[in-house]
This record gives sequence, C-alpha cells and structure tokens, in this order.
Amino acid sequence: MVAEEALVKELKQKDSQAKAFEVLVNTYKERLYWHIRRIVLNHDDADDVLQNTFIKVYKNIDGFKGDSKLYSWIYRIATNEALTFLKRKSKKLGVSDEGLKTALVENLQSDVYFEGDEIQLKLQKALATLPDKQKLVFTMKYFQEMKYEEISEVLETSVGALKASYHLAVKKIETYLKSD
Amino acid sequence: MEKEKKNTFNTPEGYFDSFHERLMDKIEDGEIKEAEASIPKSDGFSIPKGYFNSFDQKVMDKVYQKTVKVIELKSYKKFYYGAAAIAAIFIMIFGITWNNEPKVDFADLASAEIDSYFDTTDFGLSSYEIAEIIEVEELEINDILETALDKENILDYLNENVDDIEDLNLEYDDYE
Repeated sequence: MVAEEALVKELKQKDSQAKAFEVLVNTYKERLYWHIRRIVLNHDDADDVLQNTFIKVYKNIDGFKGDSKLYSWIYRIATNEALTFLKRKSKKLGVSDEGLKTALVENLQSDVYFEGDEIQLKLQKALATLPDKQKLVFTMKYFQEMKYEEISEVLETSVGALKASYHLAVKKIETYLKSD
Repeated sequence: MEKEKKNTFNTPEGYFDSFHERLMDKIEDGEIKEAEASIPKSDGFSIPKGYFNSFDQKVMDKVYQKTVKVIELKSYKKFYYGAAAIAAIFIMIFGITWNNEPKVDFADLASAEIDSYFDTTDFGLSSYEIAEIIEVEELEINDILETALDKENILDYLNENVDDIEDLNLEYDDYE
C-alpha cells in the first residue's frame, strides 16, 4: 500500500508529479476499473470513464485538502464520473434512466467481454432494479469486499445506513433470483 | 439475616446494555449470509487481454498531451497571401455594413431562444455540480415549477414513488 500522505505531497510538486502520478495510476487502476465497470457495465465505457477519472484527479490534485483519504476522494470522483456518464448517455439516446439500465443489461448478452451464465445475467437484471445507492453499496461490499467504514468515506453515509442498504439489497436480489 | 453471596464474576462495562442489539445483529447477519448464498460469487465481466498493461501509457499520453509534429504545407504558401487579401477585403466591406446596424444585446434575445438553448445544450454538469452553483437556501420549490405544489401533492408523490426512505437523504431528526 502506498503511503498516501507522501504520494499526495509528491503529486503536488512539479518535479515529482509525473512519477507520482504513474504510481497513483498503477495503484488504483484495477480497483477503480472494476468499480466503474459495475456501474456502466460495458468495457469501452468503463475505459473512457476510468481515463476521465484519472485526468480529473490530475487536474484537481492541488484542490485536494486531505480532509478525507486519497483513495476515498478518487473513488468519489470515479463514482460521480460513472453516474454522470450514464445520465449523459440516457439524455443523448432520449431514454429514461431506467430504460437505459434495462438496455445496458440486454446488451450484455452480445457483449464479448461478458462471460456470465444465465444466473449471472439474472443477477445483473436484479441489480438494475435497485436504486443507484443500494446498487453501489451492494457491489462495493459484495464484489469489491470493501469494509463498511471505507464505503462510508466514499459515499459519505453512516455505517448504520450502509448496513441497512446492503441488507435490503441482498434481500431484494435473493427474491429476484428465486423468482421465475 | 444471611449475608448475600457475593458474585465473584465480572462482565465488561455496558455488556448487558448492548446485549439485545448485538443479538439482533447476529440474527440478521445469519439471515444475510443465507441470502448471500444464493448470489453468484463473480459477476461474469471480463476485459481484453493486456488491458491493464497498456492503460498506464494511454492515460499518461492523454494527461501530458504529447506535442504533435506539424508538417508545413509549403506548396500552398503562395495561395495563402492571395486568400488573406481577399478575406481582408470582405471583412472591410462587411465591417462597414455591420457597423451601421444597431447592436444586439442580451435583452433582445427572445426568451424562447434562451429556453431552447438550455434545452438543447449539454452543459456536462452533474446534479451535484448544479446544486453547488444554485443557492438552495434562497430557493423555494415553487420558484422553479409552473404549477404550484402543495404539501398533499408532495406526500402523494413520495408515497407512490419512493420505495426506500433513505433515498430522501433525510437527517434522522427530520423523520423522528
């Protein structure tokens, strides 16, 4: 794990910035990719959003005051970028947010980078029925195995509320998967 | 009177106060684990081979915007002077004509044109960013609606459309 404080300091200094940025990209690219991919579902879209996330981090690092941890700040940017990307996409296609979510899941069936079986496809359909925040909490906890404390910093929500969200999400998914 | 037998065992401070809460947590955790068992452990997404290896360079190139070498088109150079002279004449003629017309300012724009600009232009702002710009404290809900909303309408809407009270982002005190 990179020492965050030192990394932030190096990122803010012109002479060490390039090297530090390389370290930052290397440290977070995989975790952030999967976080974004689970929101936008498609690989090319996830790639675009991930690049934009790092560009935003680079451009705004001077404004990072260190009130929160670096990783939670970056995760927050990634989350906002991914959700905004979906909003723009639905606006561009002239469909509702729900309509877009359904279409994205439908597209998975012909996506070469989706190797899921029937039950995994059904899981995506179940996730598409959840409110955004519940879906985020579920994927961060279940697939990314983040601690509630970490999720709490990213989503700026209390641990108690996150636990309630996660429980609700799991119950809804279970019901959906068991339905015909 | 027989002296009460002294209990020599001790418990951590507040043990019994939080016992019920911990017990309920454990019961709930058990239920959740059971539900989780029916959910697949992986979600089936994959990535192109070597994607992460090439990602660093791709993002570095974008961030540092490598300078592109421009090849000068010398063979067209002589035409540029002619084109520039013709353009200068046109600019002079149009400049003189335009100067005679009254200036158009913001007040002359029809509100329909402004509305259509806002409708068709993608500002690229997220709702969070818009919320940062607009001072919500000074804004009443009916300022932005054409038909005034009363409390009853709002409650009906929330009743029908909100499954999860958490979506409302209420502070605990708000619905206590």
